[in-house]
Amino acid sequence: MVAPALIVSLLLGIYPVLDTFRMSLLQYDLLRIAKDGTPFVGVQNYLEVLKNPQFIQAFVNTILFTLIAVTVVTTLGLIVSQLLNLEFRGRGIVRVIAMIPWFIPPVVASMIWLWMFQTDRSPINQVLRETGLISSNIQFLTDTRSFAFFSIPMIAVSIVRVWGGLPFVSLFLLAGLQALPKDIYEAAKIDGAGQLQRFFLITLPLLRPVLGILLILLTLGGLGHFDINYVMTKGGPQGLTNLLSILSYQQAFIFFRFDLASAVSTLIVLLTAPLAIYYIVNQVKDQS
Amino acid sequence: MSDALSKALRKKINRRRFLKGSAATVGGLYLGAQTLGSAHAQAKNIEFWSQPYGDSIAWKRLLDGLAKSFQEETDISPRTEIINWPNAGQTWLLAAQGGAHPDVGDMYWLHSNAGIGAGKNGPMPITEYKETYFPDLEERFFEGALVDVYWNGDFYGIPWRGDIRPQIVRTDFLAEAGFDRAPENWQEISEYAKALTVRDSSGNVTRWGFNFGFASNAVQQLMPYYWQAGGEFMSEDGKTATIDNDAMRETLTWMRDMVWIQQAVDPNFMEASASPLDDFVAGTLAMSGSIPDNNVRRFEAEFPEINGLWELEIPPMGPQNRAAYSGAGYWGLLYGTEKIEESLQWIQFLARDENMQTITEYTAGVSPNKHVMQSSFWKDRDWKIKITETLEFAHTSQYPSPAWATISAGEPGGIVYDLMFNVIVKQNDMNEAIATAQARMQAELDKV
Repeated sequence: MVAPALIVSLLLGIYPVLDTFRMSLLQYDLLRIAKDGTPFVGVQNYLEVLKNPQFIQAFVNTILFTLIAVTVVTTLGLIVSQLLNLEFRGRGIVRVIAMIPWFIPPVVASMIWLWMFQTDRSPINQVLRETGLISSNIQFLTDTRSFAFFSIPMIAVSIVRVWGGLPFVSLFLLAGLQALPKDIYEAAKIDGAGQLQRFFLITLPLLRPVLGILLILLTLGGLGHFDINYVMTKGGPQGLTNLLSILSYQQAFIFFRFDLASAVSTLIVLLTAPLAIYYIVNQVKDQS
Repeated sequence: MSDALSKALRKKINRRRFLKGSAATVGGLYLGAQTLGSAHAQAKNIEFWSQPYGDSIAWKRLLDGLAKSFQEETDISPRTEIINWPNAGQTWLLAAQGGAHPDVGDMYWLHSNAGIGAGKNGPMPITEYKETYFPDLEERFFEGALVDVYWNGDFYGIPWRGDIRPQIVRTDFLAEAGFDRAPENWQEISEYAKALTVRDSSGNVTRWGFNFGFASNAVQQLMPYYWQAGGEFMSEDGKTATIDNDAMRETLTWMRDMVWIQQAVDPNFMEASASPLDDFVAGTLAMSGSIPDNNVRRFEAEFPEINGLWELEIPPMGPQNRAAYSGAGYWGLLYGTEKIEESLQWIQFLARDENMQTITEYTAGVSPNKHVMQSSFWKDRDWKIKITETLEFAHTSQYPSPAWATISAGEPGGIVYDLMFNVIVKQNDMNEAIATAQARMQAELDKV
């Protein structure tokens, strides 16, 4: 029964990971293969990658991006799911509208936001200027200034990620909310608990298993994220939005260094593996 | 036949058996015929992969129409598959490493892919067939385009599409500023660009005077200016990097000054979010030094609101000469094909003047075929005439090293990209940046 699923997982999941690891231990430079072949070089690719300042920057960016995206989208998701869980007229329509960003492919969404963030033509800048909130245009995707650890372009691409991910998170949490027993809330109401108390003392603790899974999935997605950043900034300006996945892609397909790309990809797997294993173990535990 | 024998046979070959036997025989014959037919058809089928030009469906229809005419003549049936542009580079790279490939491809980056394929995979030289199939190539095609289909002395295919980049200006803005013609040289570009840049009361730029080029790859924006200053990126044998020179210093100094001294070029011109085509159409950009001809042909069709407000001009005169970015795509064979003769016939058919004319009229793109470029189609608009004139200053964007694709990559980490970014955008020490780039480039060239 499970054989087909197992075969697909092995072929499309496990084999590429193992082969990528194998390539990361070879000199696999397309420009050198004809002359040198693909000799075994041990951990040399890892050392080269770890010494590369672009890798360090992309690593820090990946963590920051994941942190911003996961924190903000989860917080907003909690609020939106609460609203969507309320009973009001037209709730169905509102729920559909809230899901719209989910229907838009990330590349298309990136192109739309690229226009929204275009310094000279941005409608956001126009509104801000006309309302007197700014006098100079905000350079959403090209300003290299940073606030604390966060650069403006990084915040901008994170906004797009949050916008695109919010429907999934809201729906996930809404499903969790609908599974919660109503009588607890009624009892709490009778005991005089306010809305905030009900949220923090009942909803959040009861949602913890759902939130746990959600956070793991979002973190995994964040650590391997590629599309929005690549389409909108290609990792720029000055590498401020560069992520590990973009670095890996560039090494392989732009610079023909499949060895360095494999090393970066293997490091991404090492980052995500503990979370993935934790998630799988929990799933197995739940099922048994 | 005796009655006894007849009876015995009739007994043996009863009706059911007869039907069974007949069915088996007919089935066997049918399958045999099918197998033979299929083997015959397979021998006559060739796979052809092409990128789309304009609308994918319309392009496929055009190629299918040509394939049908070819089949009627030769009984060979080319099966066309369209590869989308975002995957095209990777597709040919994969083919060069022994991955899936067609018999015939609409390819580019010959030097890189042929180098990576190393005589085993990817682009296949067809030098030995040149005299038989393409004896009059030099008379029929522009010399500049033919450069792009040779690698290591071998001939690889027919250049069929060109990419030539003249200057473009918004005539309405030029007229407002009192200019009645496009700039002629670097000095004039600086003067025009400064006068054409407009800022609002808060200092926000509402119109940039100039942009180095419409290409999304920033390195391709630098190339024509470097050539105009008399530079070349590497020696003719592709072994030595030649970017640490006065031509590069002069080019980078002029470009940096256009950004920071004249303040007439957007400092973010190298970013992925830069969109000069949209800026030009929206009226927030007045001039560009280099526009791919495929962008130009979109103007008439997609942006009629600016018809009559723009014109093309031949490239400006640099400190040494005029030069325009030029590239060529080609039809060629790939290693692994077992249908060399059929594939060559298909390319020969496509390369006929009348078929190349049909293609250029569909794409409105430059053709490396002289006859096509002399046709009335390329003389019915001012912009087409300027494109034809620009061909005289075409400078190939290809260099004879497989490493050129990585050296000229338009992304952070690319050697020339990093050089431009460090000098023009970050205004770092020029000599140090050039020396670093030269060393990195030499290391790349030494790999091959």
